[in-house]
Amino acid sequence: MNRFLLLASSFACLSPVALAQEAKTEKTTPAASTADTYRSVVRIEVATQVADYRTPWNTGRFGGGTGSGFMIGPNRFLTNAHVVSNARRILITRRGSAKKHPARVLHIAHDCDLALLEVEDESSFEGLTYLEFGGVPALESQVRAIGYPVGGDRISVTRGVVSRIDFRPYSHSRVDSHLVVQIDAAINPGNSGGPVLQDGKVVGVAFQGLRQADNTGYMIPTPVIKRFLKDIGDGNYDKYVDLGISEFPLFNPAMRKALDVPENGLGVMVASVLPTGPCDGVMEPGDVLLSIDGNPIDNAGNIEVEGEKVVLHEVVERKFAGDEVDLEFLRKGEKKEVTITLKAFPHSRIYAVRYGERPRFVFFAGLVFQPLDFNLYSAYGFDSPRVRKIFQNYVRDALFKNREDVVVLTRVESDRLTSFITGFNGTVVDEINGIKVKNLRHAHELLYAGDQPEFITIKCNGVARPIVIPSAEVESANKRMMQKNGIFRSHYLGSTQPSS
Amino acid sequence: MSSTHPLFSFLSTALVLLGLSAPAAPGAPGTEVKGLLRINTTIQNYSVSQPWELNRPQRRRGLGAVLEDGNILTTGEMAADSSYLEFESADGTHTVPAEVIAIDYEANLALLQPEKGANAEWIGKLGTLGLDGPAKIDDKVAIWQLEDNGDAIRTEGSIRSVDLLSTFASGHYFLSYEVKASMQSASSSYTLPVTRNGKLLGILTSYNSKDQISDVVAPDIVKLFLEDVRDGKHEGFPSLGVATVLTEDPQFRKWLGLTDDQGGLYVSRVLPGSGADESGLKKDDVILSVDGKSIDRRGYYEDSTYGRLFWSHLVRGSRRVGERLPLVIMRDGKETRLEAVLRRPPEPLIPSHMYDTAPPYLIKGGFVFQELSRPYLEAFGKEWQSRGPLDLLDALNNPEDYEEEGRKRLVFLSRVIRTPATIGYDQVSNLIVTEANGRKITDMKSLASALAEPKDGLHSIRIDDIPYVLYLDPEASDKVDKLLLQRGLPTLSRLP
Repeated sequence: MNRFLLLASSFACLSPVALAQEAKTEKTTPAASTADTYRSVVRIEVATQVADYRTPWNTGRFGGGTGSGFMIGPNRFLTNAHVVSNARRILITRRGSAKKHPARVLHIAHDCDLALLEVEDESSFEGLTYLEFGGVPALESQVRAIGYPVGGDRISVTRGVVSRIDFRPYSHSRVDSHLVVQIDAAINPGNSGGPVLQDGKVVGVAFQGLRQADNTGYMIPTPVIKRFLKDIGDGNYDKYVDLGISEFPLFNPAMRKALDVPENGLGVMVASVLPTGPCDGVMEPGDVLLSIDGNPIDNAGNIEVEGEKVVLHEVVERKFAGDEVDLEFLRKGEKKEVTITLKAFPHSRIYAVRYGERPRFVFFAGLVFQPLDFNLYSAYGFDSPRVRKIFQNYVRDALFKNREDVVVLTRVESDRLTSFITGFNGTVVDEINGIKVKNLRHAHELLYAGDQPEFITIKCNGVARPIVIPSAEVESANKRMMQKNGIFRSHYLGSTQPSS
Repeated sequence: MSSTHPLFSFLSTALVLLGLSAPAAPGAPGTEVKGLLRINTTIQNYSVSQPWELNRPQRRRGLGAVLEDGNILTTGEMAADSSYLEFESADGTHTVPAEVIAIDYEANLALLQPEKGANAEWIGKLGTLGLDGPAKIDDKVAIWQLEDNGDAIRTEGSIRSVDLLSTFASGHYFLSYEVKASMQSASSSYTLPVTRNGKLLGILTSYNSKDQISDVVAPDIVKLFLEDVRDGKHEGFPSLGVATVLTEDPQFRKWLGLTDDQGGLYVSRVLPGSGADESGLKKDDVILSVDGKSIDRRGYYEDSTYGRLFWSHLVRGSRRVGERLPLVIMRDGKETRLEAVLRRPPEPLIPSHMYDTAPPYLIKGGFVFQELSRPYLEAFGKEWQSRGPLDLLDALNNPEDYEEEGRKRLVFLSRVIRTPATIGYDQVSNLIVTEANGRKITDMKSLASALAEPKDGLHSIRIDDIPYVLYLDPEASDKVDKLLLQRGLPTLSRLP
C-alpha cells in the first residue's frame, strides 16, 4: 500500500546530467530565515548494492537513488533509513553547489525509518542553520514539505494541511507501526528524508506516500524523531522495545464473564505471551490487562492519551530498553500489579525486511542452505504450506528456542550427484546425520565436520525420504559445481557481531 | 502420469453454441448400434461455506452401456452427487427414472438400473454389450456418441498407451487406456462407451481435444468392479496402505544398500491398520517384489499383458479385498518375505472426497463447525493450495501430525455468523478445535455431546490459534439458535 518516496526506479527519472549543473543565481530571494532553512536542506545521492537472496554468493544488484535530508546539528544530517539503506556510497550536495560531499551513516534505525549521517569534510557546511524541532502539528494546520523530489533539480517546496494523525505501519521494515502524520501536500519520490516545517520548525520528516491516492503524504512526527535521537544519545541505537504480548478484544460478554471481568468497559485479554519476551513468566494467556502505567485500558486494548484513543502499545513506544512499565491485570478474577523491564525482541525481526546485510548461506555438494527470514521468503515465494506455517508460527510457538535459524534448502544445483534430488527445494532442514539443526552455523558444522560417516543424510520437514550424499564425493562435487556455477565461496555465516 | 482433463462439459456447452453444425455421420457400414442409451443426471452438491444447503443443480448428459444382465454401466462421475437420474432412448422417445446399484468414485465407475417398478421394457429391446477382454497397444477401438436425432456416431481410434490415471476422485490411480481419436462435439458426450469387435471395452472418462487423446477405464477394472458388486454388496478396490518413494537416486540406493540390478520402492510411511501394517511392513523397508513381480527403481514391473506398468496396478487393479499379496522386501540388508491381506484403506482423518455425502456440521450461537475434507479446501478456488487457510492446508498435507489419540476427524470452526452471541469474534475463521467444555473433540459427534453440557454456565471452545479459547453464553446462543431456525436454517446440526 505504502510506497517509498525514494525508489530505485525513480532514479531513472532524474537526469544525471542535471546533477552537475549549478544554479548560480536566484532571481527572487526569499526571506532570510527561509533562505537559511533552504540552505540546510540537502540532497542525498546514494549508490546501493542490494543483495540477491536467490544467488547469495553473488554481488547483488547495483543501483542508486536520491533523497533529501537536513542539518540538525554540527555535521549531523537527518534523513530516512530507506534513503541510505544498502548504501555503498553516499554523497551530500548543498543547495546551489555542484560539489558532492562524501558522507557516511552514523546511525540507522530501520524500525522507524530514520538515519543520521555525517560528511567526511564538514568545512563546507559550517555556518549553516541547524533546523529545530517543533511539536506534533494540529489537525488542519498548514505545513511545508521541502526537499529534492523528482521533476527538477532545484529545491522544491509544497504546502499542505495536516489531515490525519494516526498509528500506522512504516513500510520500510514492513512490520513496525508508529505514530504517523498524514498531510495533503504533494510528496514525491526524492522528497524522502526532507523536513516538513511549521512556523520555521521541523514537525516531521517526509517518508512515504500512498500508491492508490493522490496528494497523500506521510511524515514521521517529532515524537518518533526525538525518540530516535535520544536512543542514539549513548552512541548506540537500541531499537524499539516491545511488551511481547498480543491482545484479543473483550467485546464478547461470555468471554468477559469467563475471565471475571467487571462490566465497566475496561480490560483486554492477553491472547499470547511471547516466550523470552519481557512478559514471559509474568503474564499468561487469559490474563486481562487493566492498565498500563496508570492508563486504564478499554475492552478494545486502547488507552486515552491527550483526549485521543491510542493502542496501549503507544506507552511502550516512547520507552527504551531497560525502562520499566507498570501493568495491572486480572488473573482468575484476582487483581495483580507488576513492573516489568522492557527489552527488544529480536526474534520478531524475522518478519522485518532486512537491509545492508550480506545473505548468509552454505553451499554443500550442490545444495544451498539459507536461513529463513522475510528477505528469503520474498525472494523465493515459498509455496509449501509447511514452510509458510513454520515461518508464521516462528515467534508465536517459540520455534526459535530450538531453531535460532530455520534453515531452508533453497536450491539444488544441477549435477550428476544431484540429478535425482528432486522435490526438496524450499523445504526446511530438520536433521543432518540425525542431529537437529539449530542454526545455519550449526548446519555448516554438521555438513563440513572432519569425521563424516560414509553417507551424510539430510532430513527435510515433510519430505518422505532423506537426502543422501556420500561424504567421499563432497569435495570433488563442491569443486566441480562451484566452478561451473560461479560460486566462489562455499558459505557465508554472517559477521560474528549480531547485526540489526 | 499424464494429465487428464474432463473436457466433455466443454463439448456439451460448445454444442449449445454451435448447434448441430456437423452433419450427422451415419454409423459405419456393418456396425450395428446396440446397448447404448442416454443418461441424464441432475447433480447437486452441498455448499461448502453453508453446509446446511445444496448448491444450484447442474445437468449433465452422458451415455451408458447396457450390459448382458440388463444393468447399465457408466462412469462414477456421471452418477455421483446426483439428485435425479434417468435413462433416455437414443431417439428421445422413452425415458425412465434410474437408480444406482453401485458407484465407485475411486475407479470412476457406476452401475445403474431402472427404478424398481418403472416401465423400462424399451431398454430390453436395445440389445446388450458383452464385455471384451484386455486390449493391446495399437488395437483399434470404437467410441460411441449419439446425435440428437438418435443416430450413433462411431469414431474409430487406436490405443496409444496404457497407464494408471486418476480420472475422478483425486489420488486414486487405475489402469486406463489412452485412445487417440478425433471426435466431434455431440450431445450427451459426458461419458461414452468404447467397444472393440462389438463388445464393451471400457468407458471413456475424458477427452483432450487438443491432443485428441481420450482416457478410457480399462476392461480389467470394469471386470473387477462388476465382480465386486455381483453379490449386491460393493466393497471397493483394495489398498496396501503404504506411501513409497522411488529409488532412482544412486546415492540414496547406496545408502539403502541396493545393488544396481535390484529395483526397489522405499517405504516412507505405513498407514496404521492397513494390510501393509498387519503384514509387518515398516517404514524404511524397501519393497523388491509384489506378487512375484520384481519392481524396478521407478516403481514399474513387467505386466504379461501390458508391458511396463506401475506397481500399484498389482494391488488396485488385479486383486480384491481380502486376497493375499506376497511381498519381498529388504530390511537391514536382508531379503524377507511378507504376506499382506489386502483391505480397504483405513478411514482417513481428512476425507479426500465427499461424493453423495452430506457434510457434517454443527451450529452453536453462530459458530459454524465442520469436519475438514479436501473438497472444503478445494472450494478456495483454482489456487486453493496457496490460498486456503494455512493450518488446514498443513493438516491436509501432513495428516499424520494431527492424528492425535482418538481423533477420527478434524473438527474446525469454519466461520462465525455475526449474532448477538458472537460479538467480538467476527475475525475468527478456519481454526482447528481441540476441546469443548473440557472434553477432547475427536469428531462432530463428540463436539455435539460436549456442547450439550456447558461448564460453569459457559461454553468454552479450545482452538489451536490465538485467542486459543472462545466462550459462548449458553442462554444467548440457544436463543440465537432458535432465531436461526426461524430464519430458515433447516437444522442446527447434521451429524454423521
